[in-house]
Amino acid sequence: MKFLDDDLRGRVGLWLWRFWAMMLKELIQLGRDSLLVFAITYLFLFDVYMAGNVGMNLKNAVVTVHDADHSAASRELIYRFQPPYFKLGGEMADGRAGQRLLDTGEALVVLDIPPRFEHDIQSGKPTAVQVQVDAANTVLGFLAASYSAQIIGQYGFDQALARLGVSASALENVPMIRDEHRVWYNPNQKDAWFMPLSELLVVITIMAIMLPAAAAVREKERGTIEQLLVTPLSPIQILLPKVVAMTLVILLGTAASILLVLHGVFDFPMKGSLALFFTVTALYAFTTSGLGIFISTLARNLAQAALLAILVLLPMIFLSGAWTPPEAMPAGLREAMVLSPLYYFIEMGYGILLKGAGLDILWDSLLGLALLGMTIFGLGVWRFRRQFG
Amino acid sequence: MGQAAVVNDDALVVRVQDFVKRYRKRTAVEGVSLAIRRGEIYGLIGPDGAGKSSLMKAVAGVLAFEGGYIEIFGQTIDSEAAAERVKGRLGFMPQGLGLNLYPELSVEENIDFFAELREVPKAELQARKLRLLAMTRLEKFRDRAMKQLSGGMKQKLGLVCTLIHEPELIILDEPTTGVDPVSRRDFWAILTQLLRERGVTALVSTAYLDEAERFARMALLHGGRVLAEGTPEAILDEAPGSLVEFVAAPQMEALARLRARFANVEAVGGRIRVFVPDGQAQAALAEVRAQLDGLAVELATASIPSLEDAFIALLQRQRGENEEAPMVAGLKEDPPVGDGVAIEARGLVRDFDHFRAVDQVSFTVRQGEIFGLLGANGAGKTTVIKMLTGILPPTGGAGAVAGADMRHAGQAIKERIGYVSQAFSLYQDMTVRENLRLFARIYGVSRQNLDARIGRVVELARLGKVCNEIVGRLPMGIRQRLALASALVHGPRVLFLDEPTSGVDPIGRRRFWEILVHLARVEQVAILLTTHYMSEAEHCDHLALMYAGKVIADDTPQALKDALVREAGQVLDIAAEPVLPALEALEQTGLADAALFGRRIHVLAHDVTAATVRIRGILEGKGIRVEDIAPRAPTLEDVFVWRILERERAEVAR
Repeated sequence: MKFLDDDLRGRVGLWLWRFWAMMLKELIQLGRDSLLVFAITYLFLFDVYMAGNVGMNLKNAVVTVHDADHSAASRELIYRFQPPYFKLGGEMADGRAGQRLLDTGEALVVLDIPPRFEHDIQSGKPTAVQVQVDAANTVLGFLAASYSAQIIGQYGFDQALARLGVSASALENVPMIRDEHRVWYNPNQKDAWFMPLSELLVVITIMAIMLPAAAAVREKERGTIEQLLVTPLSPIQILLPKVVAMTLVILLGTAASILLVLHGVFDFPMKGSLALFFTVTALYAFTTSGLGIFISTLARNLAQAALLAILVLLPMIFLSGAWTPPEAMPAGLREAMVLSPLYYFIEMGYGILLKGAGLDILWDSLLGLALLGMTIFGLGVWRFRRQFG
Repeated sequence: MGQAAVVNDDALVVRVQDFVKRYRKRTAVEGVSLAIRRGEIYGLIGPDGAGKSSLMKAVAGVLAFEGGYIEIFGQTIDSEAAAERVKGRLGFMPQGLGLNLYPELSVEENIDFFAELREVPKAELQARKLRLLAMTRLEKFRDRAMKQLSGGMKQKLGLVCTLIHEPELIILDEPTTGVDPVSRRDFWAILTQLLRERGVTALVSTAYLDEAERFARMALLHGGRVLAEGTPEAILDEAPGSLVEFVAAPQMEALARLRARFANVEAVGGRIRVFVPDGQAQAALAEVRAQLDGLAVELATASIPSLEDAFIALLQRQRGENEEAPMVAGLKEDPPVGDGVAIEARGLVRDFDHFRAVDQVSFTVRQGEIFGLLGANGAGKTTVIKMLTGILPPTGGAGAVAGADMRHAGQAIKERIGYVSQAFSLYQDMTVRENLRLFARIYGVSRQNLDARIGRVVELARLGKVCNEIVGRLPMGIRQRLALASALVHGPRVLFLDEPTSGVDPIGRRRFWEILVHLARVEQVAILLTTHYMSEAEHCDHLALMYAGKVIADDTPQALKDALVREAGQVLDIAAEPVLPALEALEQTGLADAALFGRRIHVLAHDVTAATVRIRGILEGKGIRVEDIAPRAPTLEDVFVWRILERERAEVAR
């Protein structure tokens, strides 16, 4: 009596045959889960696309004016607040109304021009205008304040020159420092390059944790793991096909995102080797799945798994440099960044795709990712084997 | 039922007329009508999904419905307010073990909570609580947290909480599902006592057809419709016929011949049961003998069919022709009983921390044998199976499965056995064929043999029509056949089944058993299964009863019953009117094990003739009319309960 067919006698052949069966099963199941397919499509395509359209730029900030002077000078100053940064939101009769508009969020900037503004300028007396800025959103508030200061300063400078009767060309003889900076890697400082790439790397992270966690916890929730445990499959043989299948799905999603969104919509430069980028992504997705596996051993159902995933994801993203540059972190947290695999992945993702860097420069990040990733994966596998071994 | 009294409407507690309940587009209940009289135990019987729960929730006033009307205590339930008005007079226990209780609270705290909710006066609470705790034998556990109670005890506590405000109508949704037979019997005793002392009316649902005889009247539900309604006798009249039982050789040949003619044939252990429609006993016997001309037929008897037979006959009539052709696998000769030992357990022990879950369990299963492992929840059945299948290492003892030592060769065992687990645990989002392919590959069936092997099990489990359907959309009965097919795809010689037919309707269960019998008899597969259904245990060639981790009885079903008759006596079935005073009279004269079954009483007696005379004397002395006293073959449930109670008595004595 024989229990195995002859051509599967070899243990390696049998192992691969089972691996193939399990991986196929994972892909079929994923394909049937329309909600998950929707989430994958949405995150890899639309979410990345949207990230390219919302930047931290000052755009059409509403400026409301209280002009107590109503003179040519005051009008000129007001009209220097121009799109795309500013938009005039009309005039108020009363200075105190400005406070209310800031409170309700109807205006971001309130410009208050005092009476006798023109008269004072023309008579050479010092004068002042008041600018109130809503800095509830600190970035926007900071940008609005500094742009306003620049506009008003330039206006004062122009007025001073005019009053001295000096033409702009005469300034060439005045000693001045000209600021000639160069911006590298993203010369136009396009948010539409930086933001979608950053978002894509975060989406890869979410998927690398959530997909294997969902696949593993679903088996627990529906009791199918019991059936697998009485088959000759070892825990590794149950686990590995899941991780490989989900890594494949992530690579596919990444390829679609880069081709359709980064390249297709935003005309991303794509400086470095795509092969290197996909290799790094595969390594990252595979090893980070260890966190998902770990979560699946703790959670009893999908809802718990999702909650735990958020708990893991938030510090991981926070410590990665995706939202805050490392230099801006306080000392303790900056050191903790080496514990976030996403930190290395972002280093390498930016390095390869934006700067065109190769392994000669990025080897240390790769080493860090490999070591950290293997530790995480090992932890997940250890927990899984302990639970189901 | 003896009394043909005219029912005036005052005696009606519940009246349901043309009740319709839909969930979105799916119709759960379609035009059900029934009436429940004061002081009766009314049964709703049917498999999962028949519509029992929807109907009960609507009667309890916690579920809105789409059509028809419900009247309780003469009050039409057509609004929240109307439902509120009668809620104080009824008690409802939803389905699931202790689901309406609070796991962290103690027994007493749970009761107090429900008493407060129902505004039971403080003065009365103490007395009621004591009485109910005594009745359910829960006094000793007053301070124990609910989550630490056994399943049967949780269910009894649920009943106490439902009864604390002394409702006139109690609605119990599958109170005995998943509860061991002893607790189940306790439960019926409590219900009988309530009926007798307080005249309550009860609406009780069950998925166990063998519990049907407990009800005075009942409705058989299937697919949201009433198949039959009334007293057991009335339901049997709906599907008239006789049940013919006999031993025939060769069995498989006899089965094949009978299935060509009768829709309702099954092999039960060594015996064959045939339902012969419209036949009087003698005519039915002759008909069966004619069909089996030339085969050796012994011990043939014809009797009144069980309610399960009637249910199946009614279902078959409703569905029209049997949609799948019965399995025909006639063999000219019964294969010799294999003497190869398939499973051997020798003194198996398993400890969890300081708790001994399995204690010195030994048994042997031969090739071609169907072996049943019976026991309450927590008796250790599943642990035994886990050790034998190599999932759990034993603390002590030894064993071999399919020629591999269970202590070292777990992997080899897993490759050589098939396993069907308790809950359906294949992939519901994949098709039947995808599931079969997956498990075939896992079990090492190679590419060349894949289609042939799958084709074979598809034919065996009769899954041909549903091969490309998503499993989640199939009914339970077909899913379990798929689970069986997946476990057979690599041609194992040993099959483990852990409660394989829970939640499957009776017809589905019979189909499932047809396959098992074929596997054992024709293909000589050894089958080890656990079950809660005592009627299912009858199918096994050999049974082991487990209690508290030990095997307390191990024999063929017939030998177990014979031993019960020798030790405890025969079961006497008494029909007397009025039945409740009769029961009381019998208990007062020391027949403590008298139990109410619908409108009949069962007692155990050693000397049938003497007991009959004595019982007649007692009852007629009280002016009670005795209609019939007849000995009745004991069921396996009788055996089970007796053996466990015997153990408990022995432990108390020590």
